[in-house]
Amino acid sequence: MADLSLPKTIDAPIWLEGETADQISDRLHQALNSSAHRERWKYTKADGILANVAAPSIAPFLDGTEQAGLEITLGQLDHALPGIDFQQGPEASARLCYADQAVIIDVTQHAPEPLRIHHRDSTLPVIVRLAANSSLTMLEIADSSDAMQQSIWIDLGENARLHHSRNALDPCENHWQYLNVRLQQGANYRLNNHVAGSKLRRQDIHLVLDGQGSEATLVSAGRVRRKDALDQQVTVEHRQPRGSSKQTVHNIVADGGKCTFNGRIHIHEGASGTDAQLSNKNLGMGDHATINTKPELEIYTDDVSCSHGATVGTISQEALFYLMSRGVSPDTAEALLSQGFLRQCIDGPLAEEALQSLIGKAVAS
Amino acid sequence: MSLLSVSNLHASVVTDEGPQPILKGLTLQVNPGEVHAIMGPNGSGKSTLANVLSGRPGYTVDGGTAVLGNDPLLELEPFERAQLGLFLAFQYPVEIPGVSNMEFLKASMDSLARARGEEQPNTATFMKRVRELASSLDLDPAFLKRGVNEGFSGGEKKRNEIMQLLLLDPKLAVLDETDSGLDIDALQTVAEGVNRYRSSDNGVILITHYQRLLDYIVPDFVHVLSNGSIVQSGDKSLALELEAKGYAWLT
Repeated sequence: MADLSLPKTIDAPIWLEGETADQISDRLHQALNSSAHRERWKYTKADGILANVAAPSIAPFLDGTEQAGLEITLGQLDHALPGIDFQQGPEASARLCYADQAVIIDVTQHAPEPLRIHHRDSTLPVIVRLAANSSLTMLEIADSSDAMQQSIWIDLGENARLHHSRNALDPCENHWQYLNVRLQQGANYRLNNHVAGSKLRRQDIHLVLDGQGSEATLVSAGRVRRKDALDQQVTVEHRQPRGSSKQTVHNIVADGGKCTFNGRIHIHEGASGTDAQLSNKNLGMGDHATINTKPELEIYTDDVSCSHGATVGTISQEALFYLMSRGVSPDTAEALLSQGFLRQCIDGPLAEEALQSLIGKAVAS
Repeated sequence: MSLLSVSNLHASVVTDEGPQPILKGLTLQVNPGEVHAIMGPNGSGKSTLANVLSGRPGYTVDGGTAVLGNDPLLELEPFERAQLGLFLAFQYPVEIPGVSNMEFLKASMDSLARARGEEQPNTATFMKRVRELASSLDLDPAFLKRGVNEGFSGGEKKRNEIMQLLLLDPKLAVLDETDSGLDIDALQTVAEGVNRYRSSDNGVILITHYQRLLDYIVPDFVHVLSNGSIVQSGDKSLALELEAKGYAWLT
């Protein structure tokens, strides 16, 4: 396979002071082509996404900005992001290098109203910084488009809380979303992710528990139909003691759909008392569904509690018989059971829209 | 006319080693208003009878007939049997996370109403009825919002089965070891529910290991099933005799 490469040369951004453009390009090139990283592109073509990382972007539409606790600026990044990791996210790092501007959202205290971020196209990188003890509810919605990319970098200060709800439900030719979250001591992050397959849709999620006792929760429901595809790459890093993370990802893949899930948990040396859980369940329906799922664990410390599981299955025959024994026809029973499977992972402020889109009208309401 | 007529029924369970014959010529007739208790040692075919009547996958019918009213059952899909008025209370009710009890019950009621050409119950009336039934069986109405049988105790699952029995009001109820795993209070609640269901129009087949249940649901007939057929029938005194002597003298 040919090397993965960036679409154009990089100017050294000021936030990476001390490195020349060539040095940065070399590092990115190496990271892109490391064997670990190539593995993340095993089931999805990287070219289309890489070709667009330097494409022009606009600011996303924001709603709920006029409230206490929020300061929003559109400008250049002036120092490196603590969560940035060339090795882990070279495409997103490159995107950040290319962007001449970023939307910077500073949360200084408890923000009473939700902040709504609406993407109608490729948008400028969004940086969300939560000060210690601050909190925010953030709603993120991606519309349909030909090709678009979004990247969000979140830094949670000590004891900060963020509830993030994200819907990517509309069709898109080529859609990539990158999300990077760093949690400092005692911080709490929750993501409710609702996603539909599209011609090509890729979600990279990188959660870094970088402070003691921080807590991250990822709950995701996805549905991939027809010739659509969805590729989810999740990395959770535990760098400090007593963090806990929990991932629950349910995907329905039907009728020629293709779904890839790669969930990696990395527990660093010294991160004792970590509790990390990952569950990925896939329900195949109809003909020719393709499901690739790979949970990965890398543990470099003792005294951790870690569980991971991935299942690929079809509708439970026991449950189907139970419903049918009550007079429910096989079609209705299957619809109820598949809805139930997804509904377990649909929650939060954007749940209603997601239910509507992923499940449609409930069979019995 | 009899409500259920089972005649010379032969059936096998499908196993890895091929079909295993379990029912070997079972004949049984249930008339409206009757409660039939079926007792017998482990492996005699009690649960197989319930499963074959309801159409559970994994069994094959090798011969004989089962007719509910005028309708032969054995060729029908499980949901069609239910629509004709057959109900199976499961020995092990299934947990279905993500599908709420209320949604499940509504889907069931709507399907049965549609099949019978009746009007589907309106939601408010339906919910009121379900709540009343739930509290009459000591089930916290909050359970209706939870997943079907999700996280229920053994007793709650069995009470949920009886609640469905009362709600769906079938012609014939087959209760497969509904008493297993119940403490005495739950047993009385369940029995009281079954007695409430009984009428001169419907029938009950009560599959049980123990005479104890029959103190609370008094059967009209007691049958002993052994090696796939009924070897002895009698009235409720037969159950007491079985309790005292065991099955060995019959089998």
